[in-house]
Amino acid sequence: MSDIPTAGEQPTVAEKIFTFVDERVGLKLLAAKMLNESVPGGSRWAYVFGSILLFIFIMQAITGVLLMFYYVPTADHAYASTQYILHDVDYGWFLLSYHFWGSTAMVVCVFAHMSQVFLWGAYKKPRELIWLVGLALFALVMGFGFTGYLLPWDQRAYWATTVGVEIMDKMPVLGDFLARFLKGGPTPGQMTLSRFFVIHVMVLPAALIALAGLHLFLFRCAGPAGPFRGAPAELKAKTDYFFPRQIWKDVVGMAVVFACISAMAFWEPVVLLEEATPDPGDYHPEPEWYFLFIFQHLRLKMFSGELGQFLGSMGLPGLLGVMLVLLPFFDRNPERNIFKRPFALIGWVMLTASILLFTVSAIINRDFLD
Amino acid sequence: MQPQLKSKVRCLDREVGEVSRVIMDPLSHEVSHLVVSMNGAGERQVPMGAVQVVTDDLVQLRTSSSEVMGMQPFNREDYVTLHEVEIPGLEKHIHVTPGEVLVPFPELERNVKRRAFFANLTYVTGLFIGLPLVYPVMKFLMKPMYAPLDNGWLKVGNIGKIKTEDAGIQFQYKRKIKEVYMPEAEIEKNVWLVKATPAVLEKVYQGKNMEFLDSSGRAIWTNKKDMPYLAFSGKCPHLGCAYKWRKHKVLGQVFLCPCHLSIYDASGRVLDGPAPRPLDLLPIQVTAGGEVQIIDMEFKAGTKSQTRIV
Repeated sequence: MSDIPTAGEQPTVAEKIFTFVDERVGLKLLAAKMLNESVPGGSRWAYVFGSILLFIFIMQAITGVLLMFYYVPTADHAYASTQYILHDVDYGWFLLSYHFWGSTAMVVCVFAHMSQVFLWGAYKKPRELIWLVGLALFALVMGFGFTGYLLPWDQRAYWATTVGVEIMDKMPVLGDFLARFLKGGPTPGQMTLSRFFVIHVMVLPAALIALAGLHLFLFRCAGPAGPFRGAPAELKAKTDYFFPRQIWKDVVGMAVVFACISAMAFWEPVVLLEEATPDPGDYHPEPEWYFLFIFQHLRLKMFSGELGQFLGSMGLPGLLGVMLVLLPFFDRNPERNIFKRPFALIGWVMLTASILLFTVSAIINRDFLD
Repeated sequence: MQPQLKSKVRCLDREVGEVSRVIMDPLSHEVSHLVVSMNGAGERQVPMGAVQVVTDDLVQLRTSSSEVMGMQPFNREDYVTLHEVEIPGLEKHIHVTPGEVLVPFPELERNVKRRAFFANLTYVTGLFIGLPLVYPVMKFLMKPMYAPLDNGWLKVGNIGKIKTEDAGIQFQYKRKIKEVYMPEAEIEKNVWLVKATPAVLEKVYQGKNMEFLDSSGRAIWTNKKDMPYLAFSGKCPHLGCAYKWRKHKVLGQVFLCPCHLSIYDASGRVLDGPAPRPLDLLPIQVTAGGEVQIIDMEFKAGTKSQTRIV
């Protein structure tokens, strides 16, 4: 009987389970649909940043959950529990430092990812919605950085939050309400810690998962933009699928980022300052480095006075945000080559240069304070 | 109009077969080739450039039948179906309903060995990230799981409180605990004391002193077989509930656990119920003034033998 399979051809248990699920949900087709995504012009190392951001987020979620096994968000024990993680729990120092450097890597990669989309002209029709959701994701990442900074409840945490919330307070009409809402009162304390904690570990992750899902869905709807030059025939000849070459490049990128974050955690593990108190002592308050440029330009004379303060802390960053939101709707020219879009190129260079300039000058300024 | 599947295909000289599949161009989103089934003589790929007219059920070519025979044979392996690929917007351009609609499998993806190679590299790189984390994460999570045992003596009260023999009397005591980063706190616990008659003592000790050992096997304390006071841990050996000294209709005065109805006599022996072992005896000493001291121990519930956990 030819239709009875011989012993060597018996499907394994794993194959049987796969077939069982496949018959019911169309696993093979789903996997094919996921993996066989055309990458116009072929896979590139330049396309790894989106996947890397997803990887960094997953690692932040994992290390964050692990930290919560020991951390308590109370004003009297947040500091002690963080010190306990750093000094007593096996590998606690590594996981906490990984989480800290992971946030830095996140900001760096978000900047790279956004710059790339901007320079490649990938925000243009039909990809406006991907860009908008991406901007919202950027805001969430900044929110993660701001709320997470308070949780160790040391001097650095306390003062960065104090100043950050004061900045928010300068927003017209809503400012006072927002600042009190975040602080849970007139001054930072237990209510602030509780609010920042729940925003950091519940609200922002839920929002990020939802928006990142939407971001990916919209990306799949529109497809990758591909290179901005090259004849259709040339692009077609170089086209391959997401799997395996792009995935391979993505995974190598993730491994490199993982190694870099781990190395930073080894070489520069997190060290807490004194426990938070409204008396700063010798401590010079300063925000995390990626907020330094905003912090530094508020030292300029032109941003003094009530109006100046508002312009410097909320007005200019807000204006930049609005411009980024409106960008794909005003820039209707289908040309994607950055070398044929002088305003875009000059704008990006100027913004990047001024962020660099203010960040570096903030670092140099430290020497004049000691 | 787009050519329909099953349409007859006619060359300049004669009819050669029918349209069996349609191939789309992933960039232009237009039909690029027809696959013509040559009446049993295999399948050929005919570019749309060779098509002169398309009607409802006929495709007229501008070539001869011998030219069509000389065209590239159709190789199914070079294509994937529309269901297996994601090309945004492509499906909106198709007006061909029945049968297979294909798009070419990219040149770069045709070498199966390379696909497998890259896939395996991907797994290896993934392991490079995942594996080094397993041990640190396990150690991280296990930190507070195995706290050292404390063999200090705790005062629980005075034997003057015990008026009757062979009856359970509950003594409350306080124990200081220091959990990781939390400040030192006091918790309330209880222990059951029995002033035992020689008959009950014999049931408990069976003529031998009882030795308590630490985890490395060294003696901590020995309960003398003729010392009349017994201390039982307040935790039921069945599943850790708190038991009571109660009157039972048939068995008289007994230790009774309200959770699963394990019943013990004054010597701690199991009279009834699901308990796997007698009540747990603790090290006890009584000073000349009648002050009772115990070593606070807890044992794993639900097992036949004793395993100390506190």
